[in-house]
Amino acid sequence: MRAVILAAGEGARMGPFTASVPKVMIPVGNRPLLESVVQALVENDVRDLIFVVGYRRERIQSHFQDGKAFRARITYLTQAKQLGTAHGVSEARPHLQGPFLVLNGSNMVDGRFVEDLLGSGGKPAVLITQSERPRSYRVFTVFVNNVATTTEKPTEVISNLINTGAYVLDERIFEEIDRLAKVGKHDLPSAVSALAQRTPVLAIRTEGTWVDALFPWDLLRLNATALKAAHEVRAGTIEPAVTIRGRVSIGDGCVIRSGAYLQGPLSLGPGCEIGPNAVLLPSTSLGKNVRIGAHTSVSNSILMDDVILGPASVVQDGVIGSGVVARAGLLAASGSGDVQIEGEWHAVPQLGALIGEDVEIGNGVSAAPGTVINERARVESGARLRGTIPAGAVVL
Amino acid sequence: MCGIVGYAGRRNALPILLDGLKRLEYRGYDSAGVAIVGSGLQVVKDKGFIANLEAQLPTMIGSTGFAHTRWATHGPPSKVNAHPHVDCTGKIALAHNGIIENYASLREKLEARGHKFLSQTDTESLVHLIESYYEGNLEEATRKALHDARGSYAILAVHADEPGKVVGARNESPLVVGVGPEENFLASDVPALLRYTDRVLYVMDKEMVIITPKGVSIQDLEGKAITRAPQRITWSLEDAEKGGFEHFMLKEIHEAPKAIHETLLGRLANLEVDGFLSEGVTSVKLVACGTSYHAALVGKYVFEELARIPASAELASEYRYSQGPSERPLVILISQSGETADTLGAAREARRRGSKTLGISNVVGSSLTREVDKTIYTRAGIEIGVAATKTFISQLVALYLIALKLGQDRGALGYDELDRLKDHLRSLPRAAQYVLNKADEIRSLAKKYGNARDMFYIGRHANYPVALEGALKLKEISYIHAEGYAAGELKHGPLALVTPSTPVIAVAVHDPTYEKMRSNIGEVSARGSPVLAIGSEGDKELPKFVDDVFEIPDIPWILSPVPVSVALQLFAYEVARMHDCPIDKPRNLAKSVTVE
Repeated sequence: MRAVILAAGEGARMGPFTASVPKVMIPVGNRPLLESVVQALVENDVRDLIFVVGYRRERIQSHFQDGKAFRARITYLTQAKQLGTAHGVSEARPHLQGPFLVLNGSNMVDGRFVEDLLGSGGKPAVLITQSERPRSYRVFTVFVNNVATTTEKPTEVISNLINTGAYVLDERIFEEIDRLAKVGKHDLPSAVSALAQRTPVLAIRTEGTWVDALFPWDLLRLNATALKAAHEVRAGTIEPAVTIRGRVSIGDGCVIRSGAYLQGPLSLGPGCEIGPNAVLLPSTSLGKNVRIGAHTSVSNSILMDDVILGPASVVQDGVIGSGVVARAGLLAASGSGDVQIEGEWHAVPQLGALIGEDVEIGNGVSAAPGTVINERARVESGARLRGTIPAGAVVL
Repeated sequence: MCGIVGYAGRRNALPILLDGLKRLEYRGYDSAGVAIVGSGLQVVKDKGFIANLEAQLPTMIGSTGFAHTRWATHGPPSKVNAHPHVDCTGKIALAHNGIIENYASLREKLEARGHKFLSQTDTESLVHLIESYYEGNLEEATRKALHDARGSYAILAVHADEPGKVVGARNESPLVVGVGPEENFLASDVPALLRYTDRVLYVMDKEMVIITPKGVSIQDLEGKAITRAPQRITWSLEDAEKGGFEHFMLKEIHEAPKAIHETLLGRLANLEVDGFLSEGVTSVKLVACGTSYHAALVGKYVFEELARIPASAELASEYRYSQGPSERPLVILISQSGETADTLGAAREARRRGSKTLGISNVVGSSLTREVDKTIYTRAGIEIGVAATKTFISQLVALYLIALKLGQDRGALGYDELDRLKDHLRSLPRAAQYVLNKADEIRSLAKKYGNARDMFYIGRHANYPVALEGALKLKEISYIHAEGYAAGELKHGPLALVTPSTPVIAVAVHDPTYEKMRSNIGEVSARGSPVLAIGSEGDKELPKFVDDVFEIPDIPWILSPVPVSVALQLFAYEVARMHDCPIDKPRNLAKSVTVE
C-alpha cells in the first residue's frame, strides 16, 4: 500500500523555527519530525511513500533524497499552492490506485500507530486518539465505529477523542474532494466527513504514540518522549574524568572535554564539542556540529545544528535554532512566561528562551523566561531581553 | 516486502532478472532466488543478499524465468524457505508475494495425496496445488489452483515444458507488466522494468496475466480475456534518484551544507586531519586540474593568510613538464575522483623530485590515494552532475583545515585567533545555507543577466580563483562564453572587451581589497557594463556603485569563497536552466578526465 505524507505546510505557529525550514523538518530527539513518520511506516512495511511538499521543499528533499537510506522509495510531488490538506492529497491522485494511507508529516508517531491504521484492512478509516486538550482539535463523536459527526475546535467538550489526521482512503475520496473544492473547502477532514455520509468510514482508536506540536514549547515535550525511545550510540572522543549517566547518545566525531557532566537522556549529534566542565542535563538534544563552551549548563532543551554556546552560559527549557552563536555568559533560565506567537498570547508555565536560526548574541546577555528572539537578530553584549525581538533586528 | 521480476523474450533472462531484482531492493528482503527455463528448469536460491545469490549462480542459459526476493512471513529466512518453490516433479517453479491464508488445510490435503513438502512456507502449497491440476497448460492449472486458494498474492510461475511463458496473477499484492518489442516483463514495481521499457500495464486484483516473447494476455479468474492498453511511464530511474530535484547539479548544490559538515566531522575540535603532520613543512605547492585547480588557487591564499607559509598553485598538466626548482615543498594534489590522469602524473613527478605528497580526494581508495604519502578525504558523497559543485566546496573546507593545522603548529595563529577561526569554520554550513535560502533571488538575477553572449567575472585575492570558477561553471553548463579575471588585470587587456552588452559579475566582499574592487567596478561600469556584485551583508555603499547586489553573510573574508561559490554555482545553474541546457551532462565533457 502506498502512503501519502503531507509535508507542504510552513507551520507558522512554530515561530522562528520555520523561518527557512518546513515544520516537518524541525528536529526532535535529534531527527526531523517527518523521520518518525517514515520509520513508523517502514516498520510496518509501507515503503512506497509519496511526499506532498511545498514550503522549503529542498530541505526535505536534501534530507530524505530518494528514500534509500530509510529503506523506502520516495516520490516528491510539489503542491504549488498550499490550499489545504485535501488539495494536497489530490496532487497525488495520478499515483494512486486502490486503498492508500494519508498521514500528516509533522506529528510524532510510532509503529503501533501505523499498525492500528493498517488494521482497517484497506477499508476507509480515520485514526482517532484520546487527547487532553480536545479544544484545539476537531472532535469526533463516534457511533458504532462509523464517523458520524465532527466539530472543528469545539467550544464545549463533546468528547475527548480527536482526529489524528491519519486515514485509510481510496479513489472515492477524490469525488468528495472535487465536490467540496467547488464550494471553496480544501480540508481533508471535511472530505472524509462527506465520504462518511455515503459509505462507512471506520473510526479506529489507536493506542500508539501520536504527539502533535502546535507551538515551539511543545517541542520540548516531544523531545523528551523521543529521547526515551532513542537508539543509544557512543562514538567520538571522550577525555578523562567525564561523567556520563543514563541514556546518552554521542555521535561520530564528538569531543567531550574533561570534567563534563552528562546526565541522560541526552542525544548529541555528530561533530559536537563539549567544553571542559560543561553540564548537560535531561532531556536535551544537540544537533550536528554544536559547540558548548566551558562551564556552560544546558537542561531540557533543543539545540539545533551548528549552534555555538560560549562559556559560562545557562540554558534551561529552551529551543535554539540552527546556527545561533552566543558568546560568553548567556543567561536563558526557565520560568513562567507569556509568549506571543502569530499575534496571540500564551501563558507558558515553564519555559526558557526561544531563539531563531542564525541569531548572534554578544557577551553577558540575559533573556527572561518566554523571550522569543526571531531569526537573524543580533544582540549586542550586556543586553537584557524580554518579549519578542523581531527578525533581523539589532539590539543594542 | 518481497519483490518479483519475470521475463519472457529473446535475450538471456538472468542478467535482466538480477538487475530488476536489485531495483526492488528498497522493498526489503532476507533471501533471494531465481528460476530459469532453458533446456530444462533450473532453480537457485539462498538466504542473504542478492550479491550472495549471484556469487553462487551456475551458468544459467534460458530466455524465460523469474527472480524473487523474500521477506519472511511464514517460516524463518533460510535457503529452503526462499523462493522459487518447485513441485514434486521439479518442473513447475513458483514465486509468491503475499500470504495464502488457507495454506494449512491445502497442505494437509495435498500431503494426504502424496505431495512432498520441503519448506515451512505458505507458498509451497500453491505450487503443489498447481501441479495437481496440471494437464499440459500452466495457466489452466494456475487458474484452478487460485480458485482453491484464499489470501493475498502476486505470483509468477513457469513450467519446464512450456518455455517462453511466464504466468502471473495478482490479488492485493502489486504486479505490473512491462511491454517491450519481442519481450515482455513482470514485476512488483515499475523501477525494475524502466531500463528496458517505458510501457506498462497494471494488473488488477483477481486477474491473471500470461507473458510470452510475442505478447501479453490478461484474463480474469474465469479465463475471460481483458483488454487494457499500456500506459507510458514519463519518469525515469534517474528522476527517482534525483530525490525531487530537477537536476543532480541542483541537488548537489543544495547538499553543500551537508558536505561541509562531513568534511569537518571529527577534525575540527582538535585539528586532527587524518593524521596529517605539519612537521618539516616549509612551503606548500598545490597541484590540480579544472575546478580542483581553482580550489588549489584559493588554497594558496588560505595557506599564506592562515599559516604564513609560502604557497603556490600549479596546473597538474604544467607542473609535470616543468623543471622543479631545488626546494622541496609539501605537494598537495587535489582531485575529486582521484583518477585525473594529469594529477596522478604530477603526484609521481612530485615524489620523483623528493617532495612529501598529500592527496585531497573524494573517492576512497582511488588511484591518487595510492600515489601519495597521505590522503585527506573530503567525504562530500557521490557527485553525479558533471559540473563539480559540493565537492569543490568540500575541497575548500579541507584546505582550511590543513591551513589551520599548519598555522597552529607553526605558531602563526594565536590561541584566541585559532579559536575564533574554528568557530567560524563551524558556522560555514550556515553561510552556505544562507545563500541557498535565497535561491529565488538568484533565479531572478539569472533571468536579468542570463541572456548575454559573454560575461566577465572579476575578483581579487582569495576570491580571484572563485571568479575563475564562477566563469568555468557558467561555460560548462550554460555554454555562455565567460572569462574570469583578477580584477587588477582588467586594465591590461580585457577592458577592451567590456561593453554595455557584457555583464560583469564582481566579487566585492569586506576584505582588504574591497576598496580596490570598488575602483575596478567603477572602471567597468564607466564603460556601460551592467554589474552584479556579490557583497557582504549590511554593506550600504556597494549598492550605489552597481546594478544589483547579492549578499552573503558577513563572515571573515578568508572564508568567504565558500558562500560566494555556492551563489555562483546557483547562478550558473539558473542561467543554464533558463536556456534549457543538458545541465547534468554538458556536451563534450566527462566527470573525471582519465586521459592526459
